[in-house]
Amino acid sequence: MARALQDGPPTEPAPEGKEWKKTSKDVDGHPVDHWILVDKDDGGPTWPARERLSLLNKDIERVDGAEKVTGAAVYSHDVRLEGMLYAVVLPAAIPQGTYSLDLDAARAVDGVVVAQDVAGGEVRYLGQAVAAVAGITPDHARDGLRALGVEFEAGEWALTREQAMAEGAPAIGRRGNRRSGRARGDSDATRAALESAAAAVEAEYTLPVQHHVCLETHGVVVDYRGGGEATVYASTQGTFTIGSEAAGTLGLRDSDVTAVVEHMGGGFGSKFGLDIPGDIACRLALEAERPVHLLLDRKGESSFVGNRSGGWQRVKAGCDETGKLVALDAEIETYGGLGRGSNPGLPYIYDAQEYSRVQASVMTNTDSSRAMRAPGHPQASFAMESILDELAYEAGLDPLELRKTNLSDPVYHRQLDRVAAEIGWSEHPNRTAPGTGDGWTATGIGFGVATWGGGGRPVCEVDVKISSDGSVTVEVGTQDLGTGVRTYVAAIVAEELGLQVEQVTPRIGSSRYGAANASGGSVTTACLAPSVKAAAWAVRRSFLEKVAGARGVDSGQLKCADGAVHDLSSAAGKLSWSAACALLPSEGVAERGKWNHKLAGNGVHGAQGAKVEVDLKTGQVQVLEMVAVQDCGLPLNHLALRSQLNGGMIQALGYALLEERVLDPELGLNLNPNMEDYKIPGSMQMPLMKAIVDEEDDRQVVIGMSEAAVIPGASAIANAVHNACGARVRELPLTPDKVLAALGRV
Amino acid sequence: MRYRGMRSDPSPERGEAVPDDKLEVSRRGFLQGAGGAAAGALLIQPDAAAAPKARKSGEQSVTLMVNGESRDVSLEARTTLLDALRIRLEDPLTGTKLVCDRGTCGACTVLLDGDPVCSCLVLAVDAVGHEVTTVEGLAPEGEMNAVQRAMCKHDGMMCGFCTPGITVTLTAFMEAQPAATREEVQAALSGNYCRCGTYPHVFDAALEAGRELQEGK
Repeated sequence: MARALQDGPPTEPAPEGKEWKKTSKDVDGHPVDHWILVDKDDGGPTWPARERLSLLNKDIERVDGAEKVTGAAVYSHDVRLEGMLYAVVLPAAIPQGTYSLDLDAARAVDGVVVAQDVAGGEVRYLGQAVAAVAGITPDHARDGLRALGVEFEAGEWALTREQAMAEGAPAIGRRGNRRSGRARGDSDATRAALESAAAAVEAEYTLPVQHHVCLETHGVVVDYRGGGEATVYASTQGTFTIGSEAAGTLGLRDSDVTAVVEHMGGGFGSKFGLDIPGDIACRLALEAERPVHLLLDRKGESSFVGNRSGGWQRVKAGCDETGKLVALDAEIETYGGLGRGSNPGLPYIYDAQEYSRVQASVMTNTDSSRAMRAPGHPQASFAMESILDELAYEAGLDPLELRKTNLSDPVYHRQLDRVAAEIGWSEHPNRTAPGTGDGWTATGIGFGVATWGGGGRPVCEVDVKISSDGSVTVEVGTQDLGTGVRTYVAAIVAEELGLQVEQVTPRIGSSRYGAANASGGSVTTACLAPSVKAAAWAVRRSFLEKVAGARGVDSGQLKCADGAVHDLSSAAGKLSWSAACALLPSEGVAERGKWNHKLAGNGVHGAQGAKVEVDLKTGQVQVLEMVAVQDCGLPLNHLALRSQLNGGMIQALGYALLEERVLDPELGLNLNPNMEDYKIPGSMQMPLMKAIVDEEDDRQVVIGMSEAAVIPGASAIANAVHNACGARVRELPLTPDKVLAALGRV
Repeated sequence: MRYRGMRSDPSPERGEAVPDDKLEVSRRGFLQGAGGAAAGALLIQPDAAAAPKARKSGEQSVTLMVNGESRDVSLEARTTLLDALRIRLEDPLTGTKLVCDRGTCGACTVLLDGDPVCSCLVLAVDAVGHEVTTVEGLAPEGEMNAVQRAMCKHDGMMCGFCTPGITVTLTAFMEAQPAATREEVQAALSGNYCRCGTYPHVFDAALEAGRELQEGK
């Protein structure tokens, strides 16, 4: 049986009183199963039964919504400091070679303060940052860039797989341009099983390089004025990934650097660490001894801060008469520029009786790929879900049923059935054969499934304080990427204390607060929420003990509910919140909470479906409807979960139909490093969307799910296009020319 | 062969701001570079004309009418309205966001005499004598308008970076057409990009705001 994503649990037995708990961790943006030793039972908090929750597991309005809709929310882009300089960066216009520049000419420009060579005269990839200038405004800094008179001298490059693998291609990697990974599975058994399969198919699938397109570009504002300390306002997914790197560049001690992430405008896996723009900003600030604002322009954003790797996969698959996958063989290449790219491997989350695969990455003179929301998974999903559909139609089977036949986990069966019911599969005519492609338009339906780890681990340290004036604060250094972290941090505390969300003040986004994980691999909820719960649980107990002591009753007789403290020992014993808090000592009560494994789970499931209309004369694809059913253990905030599910589907729609970095391999140019030529989904492309939180999942633990949401959508859309009209497009994005070609019209 | 720098493009010779990606390969550089990847060393250099002499800044003081207040601001002829608001004002208004700087994404949308415009495409000096309304000025301090309230209720935001532009556009549109359908709302927002994928909730918010605005009339 092939399970692509797991390694085995530890073989050593757990010590007395401990047990192994499976969770997940993020390694270079990849979720990796991870076992940790935990106490069997520490008597700590548990999540209340769902019917007893008054705030959680419901729709909770974002606590910072008003700030965001009135423009009051301050992002790193918006930080304004006395004497601050604005910096701009020049990306290389060649993929490989050398350059020269005249820094003094830039420094002589009116309004320019600092100019620096960033790459030491050598270019290794197209768009690499080569020079930076800081001036009194961005316009003045750009004047400086122009005055540098940069001259590029191009050497030999390879921007495509074909160029990288050609005879006499320039050596990009130290160990060759193609690096092979480990072969897996049993190729002989797979070959034999394929030969005896009732139905078999073979196909090649190609994937583009996709950009993250964070609306707030990468960068920081460094507040350094030559003294012994600095503050870095960073657009980052990890408050605690900034400080030591910035300190290293600025020559300070780690403890003298504060990182601040009040709000951040999108990361999707690309924003960890000080990064190239942050490092440049620190160097400019060091020279100028003034604060420097360096948030990239779109060109820089499209050039040297990462992407989702492209790829190619050749897949052979065979099934028996019932649709059971008897064999799957895959040859996988990833295209991650100077990086390796990613693909978790096939048969992805499906079961195959026999499988084999070989994997390799091909290097080019382009920016290294980075983690991008579920790194590698949409790529693997596209090949796997496509080949399953091809196999189903080859065998004359219903592709929905064939999926269930090859998914051992019953959760997927119920989720696929729910998606099918929502999208109208049973009334759809093309269930075992695609449409013919005759007529003007055709409608089709396709499916896909997703998995993710999303487990937690002990990182976060959360402080909750109740003051004698009745105010409640919760502090932790975590960052809110827009997922609603700030909101559930407040809501968990409010739930525990029987308060309304707005009675709790969440303070996040500073390295001066308690430690927190970086938000990669959808681990934040499972790392953070248990720690918040533990702190709130501890502070409630301390609070009630103090109140009980002041009233001379047993704290076991007191209960926080409905914005009051109820004294169960006397019939009329109810204290208002402020009256109860007034009984506290002047310093109030405060507790720190750490991670509690009983509150966090690991492993989510999702299923999605898409209904499309294909214009058979123009090849245009319009997605009519998308449905997602997703579990995540205990849902903290349904409203924010639906937002995340919608977002995943929409980004997948972009991957399916629109998004692709386009290079000119002959001239060595990036042809769409902007938002007018690199298209992301807009309002006019929006289908009807149904984002459904799978409430049949009754696990009383929290698990991250947002990466799962982006995985199956593009596969479902591609399958729906084929289901509509028989046009099997094996290369994303499904642009009209490819649809027409698949229809045999061009 | 024309490559870049067509007549309609901004020109440094004329003192206009030129987007960086239009600068780094000149027409001459392009012709020199047209030999292809394997042709060995080739030279690409910025157009000499695109590297201006150090030039004296032409700072001038103008008065902008922003959110009902008269604001004196020092700027250059080339300063966009977006930069004037975000960078040049003494107490800058940073709610309006810079994203694409090309009028593609709508994050910088403000109202100019009540109509939504991309402030990255408007020179600040051209806004003199006109009423500029930014996201900060859509409702009185400490209050929210119907669109803003509905955006909060329906979670019409995630990271929030597109949110000011969407909120400004929607405010103008829903106040003009409170009975708009979902399809009309989609069309009205076709100039506003969101990367997190908030559109469905934004549509819900728009329709709710429309109902509220109709009831209020």
